[in-house]
Amino acid sequence: MGANLFANFGEAVAMVLFGIGFTNLLLQKNLIKKIIGLNIMDSAIYLFLAEKGYIEGRTAPIVVDGIQSVEAYINPVPSGLVLTGIVVSVSVTALMLSLTIRLYRRYHTLDLDEISALLKKEGK
Amino acid sequence: MAFIQNFPFFSIIISLFSGAISSILNGRAARVLNRIVIIVVAVLSAVTLFYTWGTGTSYVFWMGHFPAPFGNEIRAGVLEAGMAVFFCLVMLLSLWGGREHLEEEIEGSKQNYYYILTNLLLCSLLALLYTNDLFTAYVFVEINTISACGLIMIRQNGRTIEAAVRYMIMSLLGSGMLLMGLCMLYDLTGHLLMSNIQEAVAILHASGEYKIPLTVTIGLMTVGLAIKSALFPFHTWVPDAYGYSTASSAAILSSLVSKGYIFLLIKIIYRVIGFETFHDTKIVNVLFVFGLAGMIFGSLSAIKEDDIRRMIAFSSVAQIGYIYMGIGMGTRAGMVAAIFHIFSHAATKALLFIAGVGLTDASGDNVRFIPLTGAAYRNKIAGVAFAAGSLSMVGMPLLSGFISKLLFAQAAVQNQGKLLPALIVLALSTILNAIYFIKTVIRIYTPVQSDFAGRRIKTQVLFAVSSVLLVVLNLYLGCMSQFLVDLIEKGLGMFA
Amino acid sequence: MIFISILIPVFTGLILLLSPEWKNRKLLCAFTTAALLLSVSAVGITLSVTGDKEAVTLFNLTQSLPILFKIDGVGRFFAVLTGAVWVLAAIYSFVYMGHEQKEKCYYGFYLLSYAVLIGLDFSGNLITFYLFYELMSLLTLPLVLHSETKEATMAGLKYLFFSLAGAYMVLFGLFILNRFGNTLTFTAGGVLDLTLIQGKEGLLLAAAFLMLLGFGVKAGMFPLHAWLPTAHPVAPAPASGVLSGIIVKCGILGVVRTVYYLFGVGFLRGTWVQQVWLVLILLTVLLGSMMAYREKVLKKRLAYSTVSQVAYILFGLAMMQPGSFVGAFLHIGAHAFMKCGLFLIAGVIIFKTGRTKVDELAGIGREMPVTMVCYTLLSLSLIGIPPFAGFVSKWYLGMGSVLAEAPVFDVLGPAVLLVSALLTAGYLLPLSIRGFLPGEETAGIKVEKQEPSMLMLVPILILTILITIGGLFPDQIIEFVSRIVGTLFKEVLGG
Repeated sequence: MGANLFANFGEAVAMVLFGIGFTNLLLQKNLIKKIIGLNIMDSAIYLFLAEKGYIEGRTAPIVVDGIQSVEAYINPVPSGLVLTGIVVSVSVTALMLSLTIRLYRRYHTLDLDEISALLKKEGK
Repeated sequence: MAFIQNFPFFSIIISLFSGAISSILNGRAARVLNRIVIIVVAVLSAVTLFYTWGTGTSYVFWMGHFPAPFGNEIRAGVLEAGMAVFFCLVMLLSLWGGREHLEEEIEGSKQNYYYILTNLLLCSLLALLYTNDLFTAYVFVEINTISACGLIMIRQNGRTIEAAVRYMIMSLLGSGMLLMGLCMLYDLTGHLLMSNIQEAVAILHASGEYKIPLTVTIGLMTVGLAIKSALFPFHTWVPDAYGYSTASSAAILSSLVSKGYIFLLIKIIYRVIGFETFHDTKIVNVLFVFGLAGMIFGSLSAIKEDDIRRMIAFSSVAQIGYIYMGIGMGTRAGMVAAIFHIFSHAATKALLFIAGVGLTDASGDNVRFIPLTGAAYRNKIAGVAFAAGSLSMVGMPLLSGFISKLLFAQAAVQNQGKLLPALIVLALSTILNAIYFIKTVIRIYTPVQSDFAGRRIKTQVLFAVSSVLLVVLNLYLGCMSQFLVDLIEKGLGMFA
Repeated sequence: MIFISILIPVFTGLILLLSPEWKNRKLLCAFTTAALLLSVSAVGITLSVTGDKEAVTLFNLTQSLPILFKIDGVGRFFAVLTGAVWVLAAIYSFVYMGHEQKEKCYYGFYLLSYAVLIGLDFSGNLITFYLFYELMSLLTLPLVLHSETKEATMAGLKYLFFSLAGAYMVLFGLFILNRFGNTLTFTAGGVLDLTLIQGKEGLLLAAAFLMLLGFGVKAGMFPLHAWLPTAHPVAPAPASGVLSGIIVKCGILGVVRTVYYLFGVGFLRGTWVQQVWLVLILLTVLLGSMMAYREKVLKKRLAYSTVSQVAYILFGLAMMQPGSFVGAFLHIGAHAFMKCGLFLIAGVIIFKTGRTKVDELAGIGREMPVTMVCYTLLSLSLIGIPPFAGFVSKWYLGMGSVLAEAPVFDVLGPAVLLVSALLTAGYLLPLSIRGFLPGEETAGIKVEKQEPSMLMLVPILILTILITIGGLFPDQIIEFVSRIVGTLFKEVLGG
């Protein structure tokens, strides 16, 4: 168990971070903190992917110096996935931030519960 | 490779590009383009349906002709194509029915945005239906989420933005879990294409290796998709999102978007994990229990609701519960019933949202129950349509709701362990459904001298046409369900 | 032919509902009469030309579930009964509804309900039956809701919820039968697949019990009878007449179909289902009579009386004996006419005098003697005094149950029936007595003759005469019912 944990140290950290991000996104009242939680969660997943995709002693799959052996490089797919994922999470974050700005302009608060209370008072 | 085999890809790409093109068009042109795209996609999908029905097998389309396991794949079978045709139909009818409203509620200069979003939504739904690659599925899940969020907040007021934020938060939790799950699955199997993963998972399952990680993975993906499709208790965003957005959006969201996720889940169950493996993890039982809980609590919340739109939204929660109950039966028959209910609920819920907005229009845009009294006399078509939709929900024979209930019950009877809970909850929730739907129908048919009595609104042609067509669709599903059931059976056969 | 007989009232009803307001009342009445007569004669022709074996499939819901029509003895019996009561009540309505609003709507739904009832009688399998059963609940609702007061709406809702709840219990049974039966088509002797049900008897019995309870809702069986006394008084008198006369009997039809045509007598006899069911029924008989005895409002009193009387019919069916079965069927017919007549009379009293409470009606016999004579005769029949139809049916009920091989119930049943008959006399006759012999306090007051118009009086007279004839010459009907019995109790009669 201990050895396994040590060998997969990166993955373990990724999982812990995922948990932290997830709880923040779920439980924080402040919208900005929620978005930060979202980013922690997504980053944790990318960390996990990158960690899994890296093999000790190999380099990125770009052919330099004419070395063509498969043994020399890592699999490019996980890195590709990370990149795609980052694009997605950036756009989602942007959308969330813009929504937050709109809400803040209307209600001058970032607390989602307060906003709900205000909306109820508006009665519409 | 036959030319027809390109059609699924064409339909995805057409809707994607039309979304981009819409951004430079004005509202009117964008609308026309949007209608054309939907119809073209429907026709393409129908042709695909006939083709696959004829050949009797599904086929795999290699994007860019890279063979597996390197390339990205599209896979089309009877079920996918049939679902695509149906989604296009419902989307078209929902857009028609809510059009007048749309134009009132959205600023003129922003109307083309709405059509960008619908085109993107259609694109992502089609991709979810057809894709054979898990990561592609994830990307389109996110696109779907973003465009759905846009559809909610296109009607600009505090309510919708708040609803959109809530929707986004829950969706992001769901997609985070989905992504985590599929990354772990990739880690376990080394593949992203569904068919390859399935082989690897079968080997893992047989050898008993990595049992816990595999279960966790399946759990993560299932729960993620369940959150996104608003399974109880993750439904908190539903009433706001469906209740305050514009009518077309609500209809599309509840009848298509959540169904897209459920379809992806079914696909994952059959094509990625393998039905047997999934069944052995006992996650089916969890889904079953939450489905049952959703059926009851969704209906209870709907009964308490005093706002007709939110009531219909809560009823969606209950109906999603039905679908998950069907999946949770863990049998083939249960799955058939669940998929049939996807069709039937899509048709009915779109009808109810469209008819509901017709009724509120006739009552001075008031969504509360008291002003709605007698609304059916002021807008006759909406009244009839709402009554038909309600009766279908309640399970009146000849309408689609009855057939899905019948299929659920048949599935339940075949499953010894789950027979009693399923049937009892089915009966209970039907009675609860009856309470709030019939109550509403009676309310709208109670004549009253209201302030709006003189204001008989002029019948909108498109609204009438789409309501009538949706009612006909419902009747069709209720009376001639055999074709669809065959289609589902055949499609599931191609999955396995 | 079957379709035509259902479609005629549907179309005419829809025409009425969809057309704009009719200016001419006479024309409206004439149209309704024509439509009704046309459909009744269509039904008549259908009955005479269609054989028992013929089955017509409309279309298939799913592969194994067709919408199917078939006419058998039971269906014929109910169809004739429905037609007769419907026409008589319609004639009465033409005058009665004159002082109500929205006549057009009323007649429209009246015709539609008729169509649905005919469909119900001719249904060949459980799915079709269920379809028309649900439709019936929905289409008769406007008849209850007619006055559109708050009270009527609440009563209507109550009626609807009880009906729907009952229908879902039936649906539960339908699901299970669909799995364990050979077919859902009504077949004399039952449809259960004996190899499939092995080991599942408990489940099937539960399903049977639920179905009986479900249909029992419509038939006003305790503990689900509460809608009846609420819904009847608020409906217009002819509507409550047909509600009590016919709609309630549709629950009975459902029970007949369930017990004799789906599960089969052999499967249910002697099980806990029969026993619990019998206990409930006897409770209903007693409770209904007692509630009626205590009730002051005439229409409510009659409604409670329906609860109790219909339970007689259920009792006859539940004994599962040939004799009591005959009695039950006779009582279906007799009660339909008697109770319809009584409600019409209650309507006449309300129409003419506006009085609803029994206490207010002292001396009524002098104001409208013919009506009250009819009332008295119908009451006597309901109590079960010869020579009226009520006596014949109760005689068969009693004899059948005494002969039955059900311990306890063969004694208890007739005893309860007798007690209840006494109570019936107790709650019906005082009105006649006080009506004709008001006593001293009103002796000096001059009474005006207030007989209702001919159109109202004639249906009541016809009903009374029918009851008397039925009581004097019941042979024909008994023979007809016996033929049905012959198909159902083969094992009893044959060996």
